[in-house]
Amino acid sequence: MSPLSSPAIIVPETLADALASLAELGADGTPLAGGTWIMRAPLRDEPMAHAYVALGRIAELRRIKISAKRVEIGASATHAMLAAALERCDDLAALRNAAAQSANPAIRHAATVGGNLCARRFPAPDLATALLGLDASVEVADAAGSERLTMEAFLAARGALGPGRIVTKVIVERTGHRSAHSRLPLRKAGDYPVAIVSVAVRLDDADRIVEARIAVGSVEGVPRRWTALEEALAGQPIAAVDVAAIARPRADRFTGRDGVEAPGWYRVHVLPVLVGRAFAALTSAAT
Amino acid sequence: MSEVAERAVQNLRRRDARDKLMGRTRYTIDRGDRGMLHAALLRSDIASGKIRRLDVSRAAAMPGVRAIATAADAPGRAGLGIADHPLFATDIVRYCGEPIAAVAADTEAQAKAALAAIAVEIEPLPAVLGMAHALAEDAPLVHPDWPSYELLHAGGKRGGNVAWEASVDRGDVDAVFARDDVTIVETDFEVCRQNHVSFEPRATVAHFEDGRFHIESSTQVPWTVRNTTATVLGIPPSAVRVTVPPVGGGFGLKFDCALEPFAAILARKSGRPVRLVNSRREEMETCLFRENAQIRIRSAIAPDGTIAGREAVVLMDCGAYGGEQVFLTTMTAHTLGGNYKLGAARIVSRAVYTNTAPNGAFRACNGVYNTFALERHTDEIAARIGTAPDAFRRLNVIGDGDLGATGQVFEGEVLRPMMAKMETLRAQTPVAPLSDGRLHGRATTVGTWFVFTGPSAATVNMNADGSATLVTSGVEIGSGSTQQALPQIVAAILGLSPEQVTVRAADTDAAGYDVGVGGGRTTVSLGAASRTAALDVRTKLLKVASDMLEAASEDLVLADGRIEIAGAKGSGLSIAEVASHAQLHLGPIAGTGAFAAANTPAMAGCCAGHFIEALDIPVFAVHDCDIAVDPDTGHVEVLAYRVVQDVGKALNPRAIHGQVQGGVVQGLGYALHEEADVGPTGQIRQNSFETYRVPLAGDVVPVAIELHEGAPSIGPLGTKGAGEVPILNVGATIACAVANATGKAVHALPLTPPKVLALLLDSAPPPRFAHIKDRHIDNRLPPDF
Amino acid sequence: MTIRLTLNGEEREFAAPPMTPLIDVLRDDCHLTGAKPVCREGFCGACMVLVDGIPTVSCLTPIALVEGGKVETVEGLTSADTPPPVQAALEAHDAVQCGMCFPGMVVSLTHLTQPGECDASRAAIKAGLTGHVCRCTGYERIVDAALAVMEGRQ
Repeated sequence: MSPLSSPAIIVPETLADALASLAELGADGTPLAGGTWIMRAPLRDEPMAHAYVALGRIAELRRIKISAKRVEIGASATHAMLAAALERCDDLAALRNAAAQSANPAIRHAATVGGNLCARRFPAPDLATALLGLDASVEVADAAGSERLTMEAFLAARGALGPGRIVTKVIVERTGHRSAHSRLPLRKAGDYPVAIVSVAVRLDDADRIVEARIAVGSVEGVPRRWTALEEALAGQPIAAVDVAAIARPRADRFTGRDGVEAPGWYRVHVLPVLVGRAFAALTSAAT
Repeated sequence: MSEVAERAVQNLRRRDARDKLMGRTRYTIDRGDRGMLHAALLRSDIASGKIRRLDVSRAAAMPGVRAIATAADAPGRAGLGIADHPLFATDIVRYCGEPIAAVAADTEAQAKAALAAIAVEIEPLPAVLGMAHALAEDAPLVHPDWPSYELLHAGGKRGGNVAWEASVDRGDVDAVFARDDVTIVETDFEVCRQNHVSFEPRATVAHFEDGRFHIESSTQVPWTVRNTTATVLGIPPSAVRVTVPPVGGGFGLKFDCALEPFAAILARKSGRPVRLVNSRREEMETCLFRENAQIRIRSAIAPDGTIAGREAVVLMDCGAYGGEQVFLTTMTAHTLGGNYKLGAARIVSRAVYTNTAPNGAFRACNGVYNTFALERHTDEIAARIGTAPDAFRRLNVIGDGDLGATGQVFEGEVLRPMMAKMETLRAQTPVAPLSDGRLHGRATTVGTWFVFTGPSAATVNMNADGSATLVTSGVEIGSGSTQQALPQIVAAILGLSPEQVTVRAADTDAAGYDVGVGGGRTTVSLGAASRTAALDVRTKLLKVASDMLEAASEDLVLADGRIEIAGAKGSGLSIAEVASHAQLHLGPIAGTGAFAAANTPAMAGCCAGHFIEALDIPVFAVHDCDIAVDPDTGHVEVLAYRVVQDVGKALNPRAIHGQVQGGVVQGLGYALHEEADVGPTGQIRQNSFETYRVPLAGDVVPVAIELHEGAPSIGPLGTKGAGEVPILNVGATIACAVANATGKAVHALPLTPPKVLALLLDSAPPPRFAHIKDRHIDNRLPPDF
Repeated sequence: MTIRLTLNGEEREFAAPPMTPLIDVLRDDCHLTGAKPVCREGFCGACMVLVDGIPTVSCLTPIALVEGGKVETVEGLTSADTPPPVQAALEAHDAVQCGMCFPGMVVSLTHLTQPGECDASRAAIKAGLTGHVCRCTGYERIVDAALAVMEGRQ
């Protein structure tokens, strides 16, 4: 199973070195984080890159900074690190649960936030979906500098960051939303969810929905927001609203992807149930 | 003998557990050798085609390449029933994944690089990917030359894409169905393939030394490997020695010759040991799956609730080559035709060729889906005539003296008392009512399985130190039978502790013929041969002891490593003293034993094309479960699972419990999670652990188990095979419970969440097979005469 | 590329292409065949080893990423002939069948049964075993054994 031609790995200690290496390699270089996606390239009949630049030793990329206003997550933070760091951030329960429930314990210790965002052909990313619901922004850097993208803009360009560019961190503003993450694996756990709904909701003083952000993952090839449902929920009292009922006629906004594990219709059909569960988790967490 | 039986009973631990737990056990994939080469196979990536060009010259010149093999190196064809299977695709490619050439090189990477350098051109031909197509009148033939193939077993009908047809005709079924007082119930069922996912892939290391082959292999059937390798290479079987290291799981996957001949040819050509191991993807795509099948059952129920007549058509997809499926057509009569008394019966079971990876044997082969179909059909009958399912079963199950489908007379009242035990077990293990909106379902089903008897041989060597060595061709595939039951039997007869019985690993140069480990036969067939061999040793020991002690043999007792004069403890000698005396003065003591099928008769003239017309040792099972169905997502959760299993005599109850738990969980996979099917290009779609979902720890429950002892058995000490049957009615029980929970007719497995949700939404039409004809006779090949 | 690491307590150096999966180095270069390459996609757990104390799927770990690290395989968990508590409990519960999954299972259970890692409940242990497949045993005896180790510890 060893790859026929052996790619090189560069293991820089600083971000500047990593960006310099990537700049030098250009199209021949690919960033490598936990490896759990890239190491399976042969199984997907994908070629390995000529050279990898490993990001795991770069301390600043593994840092998770939590303040009252925002959380900044280094791209090389693993799922396990993220879940542990967010233990007390109940407003970010969606992200915490996404990190704590995806894949399996060993993979969560290896797989990183940046990897989850950048794995090109991976259609069921829990973190990307949760971060979309939380309206996070993504910092992308190259040797020349860095820029911030909204999650939506980032996902639209996913896989086309361009040579020499990497995700360095993800920033989640803490804006008083509550959040919840609802995923549907086919077994109890351990497989990729066939559908993901991650929600973030801000309420007014009367517990009416001021803003609902609802991100849907795994149903289509790339996570995206369920804006028709978001609009319909604005102004509704959260305690009384039957979210699933409102969601049902709006599920046809999605075109489910047919996969080996589940047909497209199924992914779409369960969306109202999942969004209902996510909202139930929101309200139960609040009481 | 009952005293010996009681002495044999104990929860003996496995002697191989500790090394397995410490990572020290060396399976075939862990073995290496100095100078060993690594082999790889070039496999077809199309399902059907004509090989126009095959040129290995460039590959042969690649770095590290030591040997290349193609069809020219393997002239023979092998098979079970029909010799239809060449080692390499020869002119014609019949399935995606079929081997075309093999390369041995210094490293695996070099071997793979060489594969890429082989020039092969295949002209695509129309592919038959499903049974409906295969049975269509204008279907292309997967084997246009089928009439020319050597027939290895007489009696089966075949023709066109029907590789083999086995049938049962007992009584006047037409007359029964024409009666105006019967209720007719008819159902179609469909199941997909199941992958064994044995953790150790098929793997082999071949050596060619002193003009003979020595093959180390991860197999359940060393003698089949020996004989098939010889057949395809065109050499005498005696030129092949097969030894078997510990096997990392089999479940039937390794019940056939697999990679061994490729490695053997390459070892001969290169003069070096050659290792060949399937990648996981190769394993997934060319698994000898449990076959996909399509079933129609029709029953005529008399006003008194008995089954006046039953007819059935079972289509088994054998893939591109007949293999084990040809044999397995025989099982339909006993599984789908089992469980219940039938007034008249007419059953046809056909193995159908398609351009897909060949299917094979898998734990309770054929029985698992036929039991699913039969038990769901039974529930539909009960519903139609307004009887409780359990009451219908109690009335109709096979009892003492009843006739089976093939007219065999069953002995003993077994299923009814087992059903009564299940009622008790159920009452002892209640589940809490659901209060979360999910739908509760429950079911009890019955099942009929058997022990695949067949020939076995054993030798017991009595050593001068008082230990014994048991030599058989039995393979340890994980079930523990060779580690537990066999030494327990030998020890009980010789008055030793099982730890004093060394068990020789399988070696065809050391032990006599054996059919192989599978079919629940290890404890029975190898156990019977071992018992006879041990009795032979015992007789010889007693004779020597009788001379030494000047006492009559019949007054001597063997126990606790000693031979005593009955009633006078301490008067005798240790077995070691007797054995060493014998060794010095008469030569070492050894005993031999043999076993063969009893060939229990069926009713004359009612079977055609069967390899087994009646069951030497029937095995019965009663399963029961409670489940919860999520109406929103279609997820099925097992709340409780219960098994009452007919074991004859339980020699190692704890080991049997382990087999039941494991078998039930594999059945839960089949019922709820595991899906394998053929994509539009003929490739198996589920080629990884990501896409093929087996149950994980969170998906299972501890099974409540009761072992039913005392049913008649010709097995040694009254035993029956216990490791194979636990999977038998899991699909059936879960399906009946899902139907019970949802009120929907369940006609297909597996019941994955999307499938269950489709049932609940009435969006999946029940299977209805146009290629199964309304008139039963139209589903049969014409008579030969 | 030369890789240095501490393997089962011993300082070792290997020359291997840097993207070589750790499991291949362990099996082919170090002849530590306990860890099994079964799925090579992180779903089965048979190749689990401890890297700096954390259960890690060695099939998806490039050897270059464990440079300077501490790797323990199932072989390294047993220093003498006496099996440690996890292995002893699995043996006592007659949990083993074909045995191929157990080297990985033992590694994860060794970690999971450490104080504070996992609640002593069936549900928590099963959640901790997500990512481990056993095709033979139906899992429950493995859970029994883990519980016994955790309860014996208290």
